[in-house]
Amino acid sequence: MLGAAGLAAATTFRHGGHDLLLLAVGGAALLPLLLGLAVRWSPGLTLGVGLLGAQQALRLALGPDELDTWAPASAGVLLFVAELAWWSIEPRIPAWAETALAPLRLARVLAISAAGAVLAAVVLVVASSGLSGGVGLELVGVLAAIAALAVVAWVARTHVR
Amino acid sequence: MTRAATTKLGAYAALAGVGLIAALVLGRPEPAALAAPFALLLVVGLSLAERPKVSALFELDAERQVEGEPVQALLELRAENTVTQLELLLDLPRGLATEAPNPRLLRLYAGERPELEYPIRCERWGAYLVGDFFLRTQDRFGLLVYEQKLELPRPLKVYPRGEEVERLLRPLETQSFAGSQTPRVRGEGIEFADLRPFVPGDRVRRVNWRATARRGEPWVNETHPERNTDVVIFLDTFAEARDLAGGTLDLAVEAAGSLAAHYIQEKDRVGLVAFGVVLNWLNVSSGIVQLYRVLDSLLDTEIFLSYAWKDIDVLPVRTLPPRALVLALSPLLDDRSVRALIDLRARGFDLAVVEISPVPFVERGTGELDDLAYRLWRLRREALRASYLRLGVPVVEWQRGMPLQAALEEVRTFRRHARVVRV
Repeated sequence: MLGAAGLAAATTFRHGGHDLLLLAVGGAALLPLLLGLAVRWSPGLTLGVGLLGAQQALRLALGPDELDTWAPASAGVLLFVAELAWWSIEPRIPAWAETALAPLRLARVLAISAAGAVLAAVVLVVASSGLSGGVGLELVGVLAAIAALAVVAWVARTHVR
Repeated sequence: MTRAATTKLGAYAALAGVGLIAALVLGRPEPAALAAPFALLLVVGLSLAERPKVSALFELDAERQVEGEPVQALLELRAENTVTQLELLLDLPRGLATEAPNPRLLRLYAGERPELEYPIRCERWGAYLVGDFFLRTQDRFGLLVYEQKLELPRPLKVYPRGEEVERLLRPLETQSFAGSQTPRVRGEGIEFADLRPFVPGDRVRRVNWRATARRGEPWVNETHPERNTDVVIFLDTFAEARDLAGGTLDLAVEAAGSLAAHYIQEKDRVGLVAFGVVLNWLNVSSGIVQLYRVLDSLLDTEIFLSYAWKDIDVLPVRTLPPRALVLALSPLLDDRSVRALIDLRARGFDLAVVEISPVPFVERGTGELDDLAYRLWRLRREALRASYLRLGVPVVEWQRGMPLQAALEEVRTFRRHARVVRV
């Protein structure tokens, strides 16, 4: 929750305009996240993390056209928040036979978040490299989006728990 | 093994998809950058996910144990590939419990063979199969869940913990086999009975020289022979009253086990009749093997609901030998068993009834009508006991927490003054 609140606050106060609107969206993101954590409700977490991402998108839509250099860090933090949130709602095991599991897993979460931030930076670097957008590149983007939705459909078809 | 996607997988895919679409709609790379870590985790997680290959060996250090005592169980896991997070649950049947952490969370490395100990506490008598394990593993990133059930059944018999009985109830008549009981008749034996004058045919070794010297003529010792007795434990399994802590059947089984052990210890022959919807019987016999037969039969005792009438005629003749003491353990809740006991008495069997009182298991209602019903029920039970007593059948009430010896002594007191009457 602290990470999510920090990300929402940073997004709001970094922009310098439309603070109230961004604050409202950030606050709206924290509510379902809190609810999801309290009642172990996965859709609440999805909505919360999604709204945090929407806050970022809103800031971009309302802000200047220049490239946001903080986007990779935001992406890493967003993934870190999401990972911790889903970890929090996992079924509790009364006895941890191996206490070393928790630090190992935390290290893994940190590593994947950092890798995610690096990948986001690569995406931005590629986007700002001066490569002119075209039908081919746009087709790749559409295919990636379709692939992501296909994964969603596959998940929905299988038994989800 | 079953595989299922977690909600996290769906959520991440949705977030990645929305981010990519937002990048296309807004025409800016930042939403794609935000979506990229989620997509990365999906790609890495799904490509690295592999089915866990876990097998196990399971052993118990004993196949038989007494109620309340522990049994050590050992589980050896074998992992062919690394399992980062394994949730392991030992599914114990009701009546058994473990003090070890259950479920537990483990990390298994490929080729590793960890041994896990489960001290199992036998809380209730019964015949069990122990060894059902549920395994749940996740991939490294929590996107997929694998579930597996390992069935490694090992039999475990938990015998009821009987209580010490100092003096057993004796049948009115003994049998003709050698045993530890002294009958009223006189014959070859070592138990002194009386003195009498010598008659031709008496063996010289039986001459009592002191008495002979005192009286001036030969006198011989008379002795009682040592005989065994037959005891049939009659267990009523038609109905029971129970609460969370136990029931009348539990008490009856514990008493039956205890009585059987003590009778067999005294070289008597013991038989068992579990009279209920499911009929179970053992012909009378003696020895340690018979004791285990009786105990094993007791473990199978269960209450089944049925309204079908059943009387004593369904019992094979040999299960109720003549001159045997039939010791009935019954809550006297079902008309069929009540009727069967009266039948036994009418056929001349030496019968004693230990009534496993259902009263402590019945809650007295709060309303006036409930109270009236309760009192009527108690009155009917007293009337039933009186009818048994009129037939010369001793009926004693035995409750949880009361020594079994006290009930047996009460029967003995009744039988001291009562005599068998053929009806």
